[in-house]
Amino acid sequence: MPESVIQVERVFRNYGSFRAVDGVSFEVHRGEVFAMLGPNGSGKTTTMRMILDLLKPDSGTIAVFGGPLVDAARDRIGYLPEERGLYRNVQVIEMMIYLGTLKGLSRRDAQQRSQRLLERLEMGDQSKKKISELSKGMQQKIQFAVTVLHDPDLIIVDEPFSGLDPVNSLVLKDLLTEFKSRGGTIVMSTHQMTQVEEMADRLFMIHRGQQKLYGTVDAIRKQYAQHAIIVEGRGDWAALPGVVSVETRENGRSSAVLHLAEGVSSDSVLAAITSSGSIHIERFELAVPDLNDIFIRVVEENRL
Amino acid sequence: MIGHLSHVFWYELGRNFRRRGFLFATFGIPMIAMIAYLGYRLLNTETAASTPPPPMVQVDPFGSIRHAGYIDLSGRFTAAEGTGARITRYANRAEVEAALSAGVIDVYYVIAADYMQTGRVELVMPRFSMNLVADALIRELILRQLSQGVDQGVFERLVEPAIITQINLQRDASGQTASNFDTDFLMVYIFAVTLMMSVFMTNGYLMQTVIEEKETRMIEMLVSSMRPTQLLAGKILALGALGLLQVASWLGAVVLLGRLAATDQGGTLAALATLQLDPGRVVLLVVYFVFGYLFFAAAYGIVGAISSSMQEGPQFAVIFTLPAVIPLYFLSLFIASPDAPLPVILSLFPVTAPISMVMRLTLISVPAWQFVVSLGLLGLLDVLMIWLAGRLFRVQSLLAGHSPRWRDLPKLLRNG
Repeated sequence: MPESVIQVERVFRNYGSFRAVDGVSFEVHRGEVFAMLGPNGSGKTTTMRMILDLLKPDSGTIAVFGGPLVDAARDRIGYLPEERGLYRNVQVIEMMIYLGTLKGLSRRDAQQRSQRLLERLEMGDQSKKKISELSKGMQQKIQFAVTVLHDPDLIIVDEPFSGLDPVNSLVLKDLLTEFKSRGGTIVMSTHQMTQVEEMADRLFMIHRGQQKLYGTVDAIRKQYAQHAIIVEGRGDWAALPGVVSVETRENGRSSAVLHLAEGVSSDSVLAAITSSGSIHIERFELAVPDLNDIFIRVVEENRL
Repeated sequence: MIGHLSHVFWYELGRNFRRRGFLFATFGIPMIAMIAYLGYRLLNTETAASTPPPPMVQVDPFGSIRHAGYIDLSGRFTAAEGTGARITRYANRAEVEAALSAGVIDVYYVIAADYMQTGRVELVMPRFSMNLVADALIRELILRQLSQGVDQGVFERLVEPAIITQINLQRDASGQTASNFDTDFLMVYIFAVTLMMSVFMTNGYLMQTVIEEKETRMIEMLVSSMRPTQLLAGKILALGALGLLQVASWLGAVVLLGRLAATDQGGTLAALATLQLDPGRVVLLVVYFVFGYLFFAAAYGIVGAISSSMQEGPQFAVIFTLPAVIPLYFLSLFIASPDAPLPVILSLFPVTAPISMVMRLTLISVPAWQFVVSLGLLGLLDVLMIWLAGRLFRVQSLLAGHSPRWRDLPKLLRNG
């Protein structure tokens, strides 16, 4: 059984009469990338703040590293908030050292690690510059560097890719992947579903404070899969046994969605295609929706 | 707990110490004052060496009246003794008018017939001139003649019956020093203004850092590493230390200036060189600085928490600063009667206590019960304000970029 880094159980949080978080429960396992999804104002940030003890839940329990968040446990966490910034008139290296020491590093250690990270981010020559002299993207890279500077066991990153150009997004993604490969746990909130599909092991979706999706990315995609197959190639798709209807797609690649009759498996359709001499097949896959479609579908369903 | 607080303390100490405004105010202003004084002294010395001393000017005790006349209707004053032949008796009004017309006399006096009962004397001028409105000549003449046969020493005492030196027993309970209004005014003013400026300036920086962290959204990152109260406490201690450094620098410069002045011609400034406060009083001054500083630190922390911009903060801060400087409006009363009801009340009321008590402490020995009440109330208010500031600081950290509405504050405090 995987070790839990975070355990959230039936947590509620109200702002006056508005219920921001409505009895959510989930676990984050050691070494995984856990995505927190939800539309704006759904309760993601409030949940993250409660995990970090910045807000107290009205009821329910939250355990981090097996218990309440004590001071020593804070030093094992890196946090990149959605609303983020740095002192403007301070040198980059000075800012990083200060934030590193707040996480339990010695000044010397913080300086050495900062310099190494800046080199890794190709910003080694920027260390003496003031924060105000850096571009927004550079500032964001510094903020991420500070999040992992003290080599935490867990990082919680809220919209880490927002405002970054594709090149810097790739740099950040590499750093996150590297962090995970060293055994680190990542809790990530993002609206970029492609990043979730590529990076996340499991996800949790919250909408209007309530839990909507929770599980591995593959399982959730399969959960929302249609009883259909996507194919590309040439042939009479409708003649295949078990195919109820054919939906052709005008995407320049001759693809089609084959809707199957109840009880018909994709394997039997594949067998029929291979035994038929008149069909040329280039692509065959289950019609599993991408996370973007699932996200929109969940939100639309709950709007009704 | 202490580790985080200590990191914040040293960081804020360094960051705020390096502010140009702080360096200028703390060291620049005293240096400028010193340079200005030394420049003034140098200029004076050179001028004195290069120019011959001016001739002694004798002050004419009778002013600008060269010669006066009088007629005596009472028949009591027949001779003009002791007036240096500057006044002449005329027999009647026609003669004295003629002398005035001829320019022999500048003015004339008419001593009334019932002078001994009424003291009435008329002054007649050819035209109105302030220079001629003088009574020294006729007073001298009348005094001389009325005191004929009186001993010279008695006469002098009659002329100047009391040369007064003010000894205020109420203010000199310690019996150490005699009071002088000018010196007292300067000392009280310097102590009060030093405390006030230092407290307001350093806490102004505190407010700025709180608002800056809110504006830059840095706050959420910081409070994920430590408790908001640790962050606030580290800032308060760092800026308090800088405030004490500032006070020490300013008071040191004041005493040094006083010493320099004392080696020259003296004067009010020179009196500062002799400023001696017993250690107990110095401790009390420091205690009031610390308690006052804590109150305003918490107040400015609250202002920082509820302000959304650097422009908005100072406007809210006036709520606390205006009442605090009320004692300065009554400076004269504090100096004249430091134990009067108003100074006592103001030194007990927590918001005005720091400046009021510092002003009174500079002048007199304040009764112990007043310290107990004053420090007790101020201490209680400090605790309340710091608690309030801590709660609001925690809440505001999550309201990055937003200013809470006044009506939401109680709710935010509960939820914080």
